[in-house]
Amino acid sequence: MSARAIGPRFPPLMFGTVLVANRGEIAVRVIRTLRALGIRAVAVYSDADAAAPHVDLADEAIRLGPAAPSESYLAVDRVLRAARRSGADAIHPGYGFLSENPGFARACEEHGIVFVGPPPSAMELLGDKVAAKLAAEAVGVPLLPGLQRPGLSDDEILEWARDGEDRFPLMVKAAAGGGGRGMRIVRADRDLPDALAAARREAKAGFGDDGLLVERYVERARHVEVQLIADRHGTVLHLGERECSLQRRHQKVLEESPSPVISPVVRARLGEAAVALARHAGYVGAGTAEFLVPADDPAAFAFLEVNARLQVEHPVTEFVTGLDLVECQLRIAADERLPMTQDDVELRGHAVEVRVCAEDPMARFLPTIGRLTTYREPTGPGIRVDSGVALGSRVGPDYDSLLLKLIATGADRHEALERLWRALGDLRLLGLTTNAGYLARLVASSEVSAGEMDTGLLERGVVAAAPDAAQAREAAIATAATRSLTLGGPDPWEGLPGWRVTGDVPVTYELAPVGDGDTVVVEIAGDRVRVGEHEASLQVDTIDPGRVRIALDGRARVWDHASVDGELWVSAGSDAFAHRVVEPVVQDAAAVAGGEIDAPMPGSVLSINVAAGDRVAEGDLLLVVESMKMELALTAPADAEVTAVIVSVGDHVTRGQALVELDVAES
Amino acid sequence: MSVILRSSADPNSEGFAANQAAHTELGADLDRQFARVLAGGGERAAERHLSRGKLLPRDRVDRLLDRGSPFLELSTLAAHGMYDDEAPGAGIITGIGRIAGREVMIVCNDATVKGGSYFPMTARKHTRAQEIARQNRLPCVYLVDSGGAFLPLQDELFPDVRGFGQVFYNQANMSAEGIAQIAAVLGSCTAGGAYVPAMSDEVVIVREQGTIFLGGPPLVQAATGETVTAEELGGGDLHARRSGVADHLAVDDADALAIVRSIVATLPPKPPVPWETRTPEPPAVDVASLTGAVPADLRTPYDPREIIARLVDGSRFHEFKANYGTTLVCGFAHLHGHAVGILGNEGVLFSDSALKGAHFVELCDQRGIPLIFLQNITGFMVGTDAEAGGIAKDGAKMVAAVSVTRVPRLTVIVGGSFGAGNYGMSGRPYFPRFLWMWPNARISVMGGDQAANVLTAVGRERDPEAIEARKREIRAQYETQGHPYYASARLWDDGVIHPRDTRDVLGLALGACANAPLGERRKPVFRM
Repeated sequence: MSARAIGPRFPPLMFGTVLVANRGEIAVRVIRTLRALGIRAVAVYSDADAAAPHVDLADEAIRLGPAAPSESYLAVDRVLRAARRSGADAIHPGYGFLSENPGFARACEEHGIVFVGPPPSAMELLGDKVAAKLAAEAVGVPLLPGLQRPGLSDDEILEWARDGEDRFPLMVKAAAGGGGRGMRIVRADRDLPDALAAARREAKAGFGDDGLLVERYVERARHVEVQLIADRHGTVLHLGERECSLQRRHQKVLEESPSPVISPVVRARLGEAAVALARHAGYVGAGTAEFLVPADDPAAFAFLEVNARLQVEHPVTEFVTGLDLVECQLRIAADERLPMTQDDVELRGHAVEVRVCAEDPMARFLPTIGRLTTYREPTGPGIRVDSGVALGSRVGPDYDSLLLKLIATGADRHEALERLWRALGDLRLLGLTTNAGYLARLVASSEVSAGEMDTGLLERGVVAAAPDAAQAREAAIATAATRSLTLGGPDPWEGLPGWRVTGDVPVTYELAPVGDGDTVVVEIAGDRVRVGEHEASLQVDTIDPGRVRIALDGRARVWDHASVDGELWVSAGSDAFAHRVVEPVVQDAAAVAGGEIDAPMPGSVLSINVAAGDRVAEGDLLLVVESMKMELALTAPADAEVTAVIVSVGDHVTRGQALVELDVAES
Repeated sequence: MSVILRSSADPNSEGFAANQAAHTELGADLDRQFARVLAGGGERAAERHLSRGKLLPRDRVDRLLDRGSPFLELSTLAAHGMYDDEAPGAGIITGIGRIAGREVMIVCNDATVKGGSYFPMTARKHTRAQEIARQNRLPCVYLVDSGGAFLPLQDELFPDVRGFGQVFYNQANMSAEGIAQIAAVLGSCTAGGAYVPAMSDEVVIVREQGTIFLGGPPLVQAATGETVTAEELGGGDLHARRSGVADHLAVDDADALAIVRSIVATLPPKPPVPWETRTPEPPAVDVASLTGAVPADLRTPYDPREIIARLVDGSRFHEFKANYGTTLVCGFAHLHGHAVGILGNEGVLFSDSALKGAHFVELCDQRGIPLIFLQNITGFMVGTDAEAGGIAKDGAKMVAAVSVTRVPRLTVIVGGSFGAGNYGMSGRPYFPRFLWMWPNARISVMGGDQAANVLTAVGRERDPEAIEARKREIRAQYETQGHPYYASARLWDDGVIHPRDTRDVLGLALGACANAPLGERRKPVFRM
């Protein structure tokens, strides 16, 4: 924790032991504050997290159960049992999981354990999007046109959508929860029924409640949210805004505070609206009021929803306010008074956060899994790392893909962005594909530099998912060069690579990128290396077992490298590259004639829409795989006959596993 | 006592520059000959080959080998200057390379050269590779793509030993001795050629590309009137599913090669190296100066230690009987980590040098140390003194010791190889495991000048002009027939090599020899 200590000082706290009912980076972050405050920290873990950093950082950690959230982090009784076993006075829920579950908050109360969060009543009122909008309407906070009643039927939504002139585009959302699950943008009437069905299914799966609401969709909108903090003694403050317009599939990617487009006047109006709503709801603790801000008219903001919890992106507010929001939450939960007024809240400098996730930008940002064989966090002035992973961590498909957050602060936005870019370059993470390189390109993009952001920017693909060809080539050379270090040995049959009576030949590495991308052929002949038309002198020196210095035509860079299950990872900056050396592989001559549909990622089979013997046309839905709460529809690549369905509904599948076999028609 | 050899060559001397220039010229010419062989049957044939979805033969070999594996190619210049120069490399590639971590003999037809047909020298090269494989217990991989015997030359190919027929005899015998015989049928495999896979332990065939039949479709049509396609008659599906002639069906060349690699990986491990090995180190004397230190001209005598200093690890040499029989240098060293005994000539062999050589060979035989012969010999000494001193029986002792030794012998002809010196120094008739020649070397029963003098002296011609003409003629004949290309073309050696490659060639060959355990010691009657 490196939030500046400019905030007011509190007296010592009353909690002796606090259980952190969460995992990953937020569990680590909460435990850090607990330890700084001298409170005994108890972690909980599922079997998948038995060796996770939050377990090791806590004073004690208690197993909840198997990896499935419903049997671990979402299992109310198990969490409460862990709290009783560890003698916890309070439970900090983090974000997600049980953080916005009023039933859990009540259960805590019933067991005499303090729930670090808003009272269940406020949570119920504001956590439900429909109720929150009605409350907002009641206190005069502006809203988008839409329907937000509890228990809306599909017919009611369809009727409303067909009723007015400019109802489309519209957005269907899950009444409970957030984070993009159960959300659908619909641009035409005919797409609405399908969208409603899908949204309800995702809402039901994600939140156990298939309630939906509908509202106008603003094409170029910015996402601005106000941090609230309220004690039990009537003080409600806002701590400035955060802009989180850079999103992908409604998941925030980059967040900052303050917003580059919010003027002091609008900031005050936003803050007042948020505070009025919180007061109306009897809100206590840390919360966030989210607003939609039209890109062309920031003053015309509209209320979206309240998140009755600590947000992922809270560190940027901590940087600019100097407050430790987790400490604030704990003090409020302990019934202390906020020792300040709105006038004491002073925003200083600028802070920007990016979320480094286990996802593959080159494969439509699908989640990735792997093991961190190299991991080095950046350091430096104004840099904060909130991480839930460590060297050796296994990242599986069980939970959210967020690995860590990099937060940078500076005197102004420019400095914060510069530092963040540098930090991304210094981050080393091998063994797992992440979006770090993409984030670096995003941070350096002209749009972000200029602050010209809206919630659709990333989906429009303005930032390259892949590093440029020259970088990819250099990475392939680094991979081959690192690999070539393993050649050689005392036996001349090993020590004379490429030797021929008729003159030596290059040692050739055919490298296939892990994931998408074309195969690269790297030829190394002594101290020369060639990739296609590009040739250079090559000098490779080992610095330590995981690092080499590679000079191409005398230009030297240091590369980290690691080999994981045949995947060769290299990185000299924010981008990490993984290749497999294409080795002679025995094919099955009997099987290669057919076509196979493989799982694009690990997950489970949600539905199967075809049976063996079916004729399918190109684009027909074959089956749906659910992975990390996303539904992936797999379609026929061509007209074909289904020769076999290899999996069943509910099967857990691994990436690349054959699901369906097709006989592609020859026509 | 082991000493670190130093070179007495002066890199700034005129002689050094002259030597280097002469060797450079010879080396450049050798590279030109290599380039012609590497081109195989030429661009058009290569294009036609590729258009059938096949890999070029050298690419097949490269893909078969472990990444970075050396390839100790054999008889590269086979058939050089023969068959109107239409069979570069005799249309076949042979050599030793590493597959799945072990040394394997590879025999690969080059279908771009006359459809991979067997010329007489093709069969010689194929059987020579098998001979090496058998002596050194190297598993054999045959990459078959051949139309069979080159019929116009069937008389030189069919009836005799080391002809086409011996290929299958060798396969059966190696298989019997536990030396794996693996064939990948990547193209035609007709008539006699069909026996290569049929005689193999394990066979891969490429679907819709490889064919195996005793008689092809035209012959079948002529014989029985049956009309049939090559694939129906002997394709991969037929042999993998019905006939059982093939064991593994491959999709394409790359798949077939992968299957072969997979087969080799299942072979039992190779035996431990039969002699002492150490961590290798480069010679202390720079190998690059070899061609300056050693004259290319055979008439200039020089110290073989100049070569040894550039061959052996750390240039360390434990010399034996340094002051006795000084025209033969003998001593122990390590080469690429392998213990070796080295014999090098420094002039003609006298009785004492022959006795020393016999003694040294006996030592290495008893200790199980491989022998390296650096052959630069004009012969045994002649004359009354020599004969009276028993040069015949002393020379015989050396020849006998060399003939019966159980340790591997590797011979490099670095200069002249004339007369009985060739025998004592482990020439081709003495079946060394390997024999190579430098580009400046010459081989014949005697030197060209000597032959010219002897033949004109015993002749009836008395006209001085006619004698000179006859001498020129004889010299020219010896120059042609004694040339390393002429020798290599006829498989009198296993290849012409650049002098600078000698250390690596020997190191790789020693590694290959290490696959065969040493036999029992044997002793002939030495005439005392």
